[in-house]
This record gives sequence, C-alpha cells and structure tokens, in this order.
Amino acid sequence: MAEFTLDCLGEACPIPLMKTEKKLEGLAVGDILIVSIDHSCAMKNIPEWARKQGHNVEIDEVDDGEWEVVIEKTK
Amino acid sequence: MPETGQASSGSSIRRSSTSSRRKPKKNQIPLGMLVVVLMVVVGLVQANREPMLGFYWMMGGVFGFILQKSRFCFTASMRDPCITGSTSVTRAVLIAFAITTIMFTAIKFGYASMGLPVPGMSYVTPISFATAAGGILFGIGMVIAGGCASGTLMRVGEGFFMQILSLFFFVVGSLVGAAHFGWWKEKFIIHGPSVFLPDVFGWVGAVVLQLLIIACLYKAAALWEEKKMGGSED
Amino acid sequence: MCAVKAFFDKLGKNETYVKIFKTPFTYLTGAILLSIFQVVSLGATGDPWGVSGTFANWGAWLYRLVGGNVDRWYYFSSAGAQAVLDRGFLNDPGTMRNLGIIFGALAAVLLASQFKIKKIKSKKQVVAAVVGGFLMGYGARLAYGCNIGALYSAIASLSLSGWAFAVFLFIGAFFGSKLLRKFFM
Repeated sequence: MAEFTLDCLGEACPIPLMKTEKKLEGLAVGDILIVSIDHSCAMKNIPEWARKQGHNVEIDEVDDGEWEVVIEKTK
Repeated sequence: MPETGQASSGSSIRRSSTSSRRKPKKNQIPLGMLVVVLMVVVGLVQANREPMLGFYWMMGGVFGFILQKSRFCFTASMRDPCITGSTSVTRAVLIAFAITTIMFTAIKFGYASMGLPVPGMSYVTPISFATAAGGILFGIGMVIAGGCASGTLMRVGEGFFMQILSLFFFVVGSLVGAAHFGWWKEKFIIHGPSVFLPDVFGWVGAVVLQLLIIACLYKAAALWEEKKMGGSED
Repeated sequence: MCAVKAFFDKLGKNETYVKIFKTPFTYLTGAILLSIFQVVSLGATGDPWGVSGTFANWGAWLYRLVGGNVDRWYYFSSAGAQAVLDRGFLNDPGTMRNLGIIFGALAAVLLASQFKIKKIKSKKQVVAAVVGGFLMGYGARLAYGCNIGALYSAIASLSLSGWAFAVFLFIGAFFGSKLLRKFFM
C-alpha cells in the first residue's frame, strides 16, 4: 500500500497519460499514484482512462488550473 | 459513468500525504467576465467596420469556448486509438461528422434545387499524392506538438507557452508550404480528381452512403476500445 | 471589495454556474455544439469553418514585415489572395475567427477559474513544438487544410477528399505516436 507521485506539470497531451500508464504498470495492487497535472485535457483523459481500466480515481483541484489525480490501483 | 472531472465529495481513496493545496485559490471569474466584455466590445467595433469581421470574431469565440469546455480534440480522435485504445473522442468526432453531413446537405440541396450555386464547394478539393503527403505530415505533426490547428489556438488561450511556439512554426510551415505550393500543384494536385459525392451517388445516395460509413466506423471504434481496454462504459 | 469577492466566490460555487462554466462538457456535447455552429457558419457565410488557410496569410504578412515579398508566388497570385493580403491583418475575417478561438478559450478557462501559465518545461518540448508546428503548417498547405478545413468541413461537405485526408491523417498519427513514445516521453 505504498504511495507514489508523478509530476506531469507543464506537460502537454498525451505525455501525462502515457507516463501515468507506464508508472502504474510497475505498481502493485492497492498502491496509490498521485499524478500532478496542469493540462486541462489531461484532467479529463487520465481519469477517464484509469476508470475504464477499473481503477479507483479521484480528482483534487489543488490550485487554479492545477490538479492532482489520485489513482488507486485495483488490478 | 462519471465522465466529468469534478472531485467526488466523499473521498474513498485513503492517501497518506495531504493534498498539496498550498494557498487559497484566487477567483478568476471576474477576469473571465472582463474578457467576455472585451470580446463583445471588439466584436461590436469590428462589426461596425464590416459586419463579416464581427461575425467571424464571434464565431471564433464560440468555437474556442466549446473546444475548451468539452476538451474537444481532433488530434486525440486520431491519436488515442493508437496510444491507449480509447475511442471516446473518436466517436464524438464521428457524431459531429454525422450531424454536419445531414445539415450541410440539407442546405446544399436547398440551394441546388433552387438553381443557385451550392455554397461551400471550395472545400471539395482534389485528391492526389499531395493529400497523402499532407495528411501524413500533418498527422505526425499534430501528435508531436500536442494539438492541431484549432487545438493549438485553444491551448494558446489556456496559457500554454509551448503551443505559442508551435503556432509560430505552424505559420512558418504554412509559409514554406505556400512557397512550394506551385510545384505540388503542377506535379500532383492538378492531376487529382475532386469528387463531390452527390455527383456520383446522387444527393440521397451520397448522404446514406456517408452515414453508413460513419456508422460502421463508430461500431469499429467501439469494438476497438473494447478489445484494447476491455469494455467501453459509455 | 470584500463584498465583491464574496459575491464571486459564491457565484463560483453556485450549482448552475458550476454545471455550465466549471465542469467540462462531455465530448458528445462538444460534438453537437460544434456541429450547430458549423451549420450556422455555412448558412450565414456560405463557407464552413476553416483555420489553417489563414495561417498562410499570417506567414505572408510576417514575411512582408521582414522585407519579403510573396506576390510572385503561385499560392498568393490569384486576385482573391492578393485582395486578402492587401486588406491586412485586422480586416481579415479568418484572422478574426482564429483570434476569436484564442479569446473564447481564454474566457472559458477563466470563467472556470482554471487559468494557469504553463511555461516551456524542457528542450524536448521546444523540439516537439518547432517540428510538430512546422510539419502541420507544411502538411496543411499540401492537403488544402487541417483537421477542420480538410477533414471536418470537407467530410461534412460530402467531399471524398475529406475521407482520403482522414486515412492519411490516421497513418500520420500512428507514426507520430511511435515517435512520441520513442523521443518525447
């Protein structure tokens, strides 16, 4: 049940999504990944992708135009 | 499916670190309203000089607003199937194609049946090697730059400096492309056919055929996502 | 001032306001709204939406600013193209529409209170923007447009060229994705 962070601030689509996908692959079930993003499209496509993969997802708007996508790996 | 990006109120994921919220957020709504007012003023000034200028300005504003709000991205519609297998944007684009196909044809048919010149025919362009080369170059470029023409403009508005640079080089590339255009035209474009589908299949035939193609692509996109991501939820 | 700020903070939490201005629209909503205004464009101006043709004019104006001349180029040789160039930047409808997109997006993002300046982060981004931007500009001129003019508007106009462009665009996007994974991640 470890917690990891991934800094994707300043990255444009689809880099944040690709990095998230790659990072999540190496995690164990139950681990939590927190992805920091400031690209408004990533704030829609990362959660959408992760939910479709069956993971638990939450979005936290930490600042104007800045989000943390919290993903709990479920499988 | 919870499609929107709003944080759910009841937090179910227990994280050990606290959210990195550093300071109370500034409220940008007044600034947003100021921009809207500014846009209306510019629109009125331009419309006063020439109605078309004001109208185009307004249409641009509306398109930009919709693109940003829905994160509509033509690049993603072509790219996401390759990268993650997601086709939700692809399917939305196909729906946009279907709606406009029907409405455009209604307008065009109306003009044609009254014996008037059909509007928008300048968008029926020749198909040649230049279309293939242009499409491939554009496809590579938009994926690398993270946005096509409309997407780049939209992201400039969002404050993306990278996209300002890409916009500048889009303009430079256009200029070079225009410089070489004569060569491409003479070698390839001039020999390519321009095909307006109703000329081949009739008005009804063209619309039915195109809608069928769109429907098949939609189905294929849904199956693709199911195969790559294991079940589409919407 | 405090009362004003309180008003806007309250507005920002208003349910209807959040729904319209804060929460993103679904892709489907975007598709429907864009299509409506595509039809409005065609109906009112006789032309559907286009974006990248205007960028060639921007290029010509910039080239003129640094002392270049495009009048002899085949691309700009028609009377229509010359007239557009002579009217100038602020009198060009296409320019107004492209600038409108920037400001429309800016308004949307500010009304959602989500604006943030995103500076260039790495050399990779510079290369991506320069190469990607240039390829798009050059490609758009060969194909008579971009994802809007040569794809969306062309397909809506029942032109076979739109479908041909779509096929090659997809091939390009496929290779672009490979390049991205290899060099830009």
